[in-house]
Amino acid sequence: MTQLVWNGLFVGSFYALVALGYSMVYGIIKLLNFAHGDLYMLGAFVGFAILGAVGGVSSSMALPLLLVVLLATMVLTGLAGVALERIAYRPLRRAPRLSLLITAVGASFALEYGMRAAAGADPRVYPVRLGGTSVEVLGARLTLQQLVLVGVAVVLMIGLNLLITRTREGRAMRAIALDPRTSSLMGIDVNAVISRTFFLGSALAGAAGVMAGAYYGKIDFLMGFLIGLKAFTAAVIGGIGNIPGTMLGGLLLGLLESFGTFWLGGEWRDVFAFGVLILFLTVRPTGLLGERVTERV
Amino acid sequence: MRATPLKSLASLAAVGLLVTGCGQGLLGGDDGDKAATANDPIVLGMLIPQSGSEAAIGPYMSNAAQLALDEINAKGGVLGRKLELKTADDACDAQSAAAGANKLVTEGVDISVGGYCSGATLPTLPIFGKANIPMIIPAANSQELVDQKLKHVFLINGTGSQQAGAAEKWIAKQGAKSVVLMHDNTSYSKDIALRTKALLDAPGDAEAVLVETVTPKESDYSANITNVLAKKPDFVYWTGYFQEGGLIARQLRQAGYKGSIMVGDGSVSPKLVEIAGAEAAEGVYATMTQTPDTLEGAEGWIAAYKKKYNADPGPYSNQAYDAVRLAAEAVTKAGGTDGAKVISALEAIDGFSMFSGPLKFTPEHTLANGGFQILVVKDGKITLQDSLK
Repeated sequence: MTQLVWNGLFVGSFYALVALGYSMVYGIIKLLNFAHGDLYMLGAFVGFAILGAVGGVSSSMALPLLLVVLLATMVLTGLAGVALERIAYRPLRRAPRLSLLITAVGASFALEYGMRAAAGADPRVYPVRLGGTSVEVLGARLTLQQLVLVGVAVVLMIGLNLLITRTREGRAMRAIALDPRTSSLMGIDVNAVISRTFFLGSALAGAAGVMAGAYYGKIDFLMGFLIGLKAFTAAVIGGIGNIPGTMLGGLLLGLLESFGTFWLGGEWRDVFAFGVLILFLTVRPTGLLGERVTERV
Repeated sequence: MRATPLKSLASLAAVGLLVTGCGQGLLGGDDGDKAATANDPIVLGMLIPQSGSEAAIGPYMSNAAQLALDEINAKGGVLGRKLELKTADDACDAQSAAAGANKLVTEGVDISVGGYCSGATLPTLPIFGKANIPMIIPAANSQELVDQKLKHVFLINGTGSQQAGAAEKWIAKQGAKSVVLMHDNTSYSKDIALRTKALLDAPGDAEAVLVETVTPKESDYSANITNVLAKKPDFVYWTGYFQEGGLIARQLRQAGYKGSIMVGDGSVSPKLVEIAGAEAAEGVYATMTQTPDTLEGAEGWIAAYKKKYNADPGPYSNQAYDAVRLAAEAVTKAGGTDGAKVISALEAIDGFSMFSGPLKFTPEHTLANGGFQILVVKDGKITLQDSLK
């Protein structure tokens, strides 16, 4: 039982990290950024490229090195997210919502197959891997590395939440989410804030990409697709646009999958998880913590 | 759940466009056939995954096919006509495969020599059938492909039931007691898993305690592995592809599983070892037909391949190479590219030399002997363990 909970929380923290970007972008410009999962893929490949450039390291240095690579990747993926917004989304800001959505799907394909052209179709394997032997805690097998990864995810999420609730930058984001036009009249540089929002969301996805690469080992150009879908689901469960709700949604989806697999078998897992999603949305369409009056970012 | 509604819609639209285009193209193609002269090339069509999850396999097959083609053309071609290869992408996906098959038919293909993913090959059977194009399928090997007993379909890879037989033999030989079968719910993978289960269900020592389905393309299989380990198996057989296979082997070992692991032929790739990591991959068995690595007397062929492509041949390179040679042989025997004559020629072939041994098709149009053997990962290399002869 504890094993199931742990499995769910571990996978769920990845979902949550990726879902945050979805949620922030939706909150601020009402865009479902379907290319978001591909920024996760991009992060994994950027981390792979940096590790390849650094060369071989002893396994005792693996964890500190990975943390450095993680930060570098977050910056680079964040910038990629900013570029994506500038090139693909900003020119369409005043276009009908559907045009933006289609552009997002197009951007997703462009990133996927652009990476295929650049890095090839063969899956790549991370040179530094977090393996580790497992220990038993309360009947669940877990490794130190898993704990570190979950720890990093939690730190990033808390940091993001503080940024949004306690800083000027965060206040500007929340203001734009409420009313972009009035915000700009009040002297907020709307374009700059939106760029920074994309930076943050993409950086988090990039972080999740590196962590997945280092832990699972295998990366490929389509790896962002499924997790993008899952993250979207997680964001909707939690209340898209609501930051704590999104985190909760990620963890909940992880748990639903874990328990769904256990109760009904692997072939029914997605039926179970997404069935719950449908049920949930019919009862509570705004998601767990999403309420109409809540400020969205 | 492998495509967002939008993406599905987009691919549907793409299929629609291609089908429309094909309607016009078919007419053009017919005219072309009548005008075919002795100087026109014989066109071989090859549907392979060039994008999508199995994109890594495509080049192994198309390169080997091109190699065979070049060798035959260098000797003057077939009946004085040159051979030509046209490839199309099936993305290991039924919709893309149907679109690709229509494209090949439009382009006037005479014989199809492609087909890797069974699930993607299945919908192409009627498309080639209607256009009277014989199919020599080098890799796809689900029983479903031959269950319809279509006259134009020939498999030169061992079938799912032959592979299941080999798996059951090896499981018995290892003295395993409780076996877990894992598949990814694709037609190919599920077919092998369920056929193996049926064999294990017959009285004997080994018993199939669980059939576990996983979702392909994910990274985390811990939930499935928790299910598997709850049954305390001493043998796990994964029948899907290598990307998931590598992850599953690794995660099984990380979770403390000590028993045997075996994978099916879709998982036989050096990448499996890389993804699983040398430690977790060590000692993993595989059911597999002949590969370039286990072929006897194929050094010359491997060297030729390496010289041309500056890379090693991979899984199904040899079958793709043989498919082209077989197509050339059949056209020669038939004296032309007429579909019905080529089919009769293929049925009549007896003892044609291929990597898998002398060829003679069964009435089902499959190999009489699948030639499955057991490979093992030893010091990070996939080597022969037992030829099961």
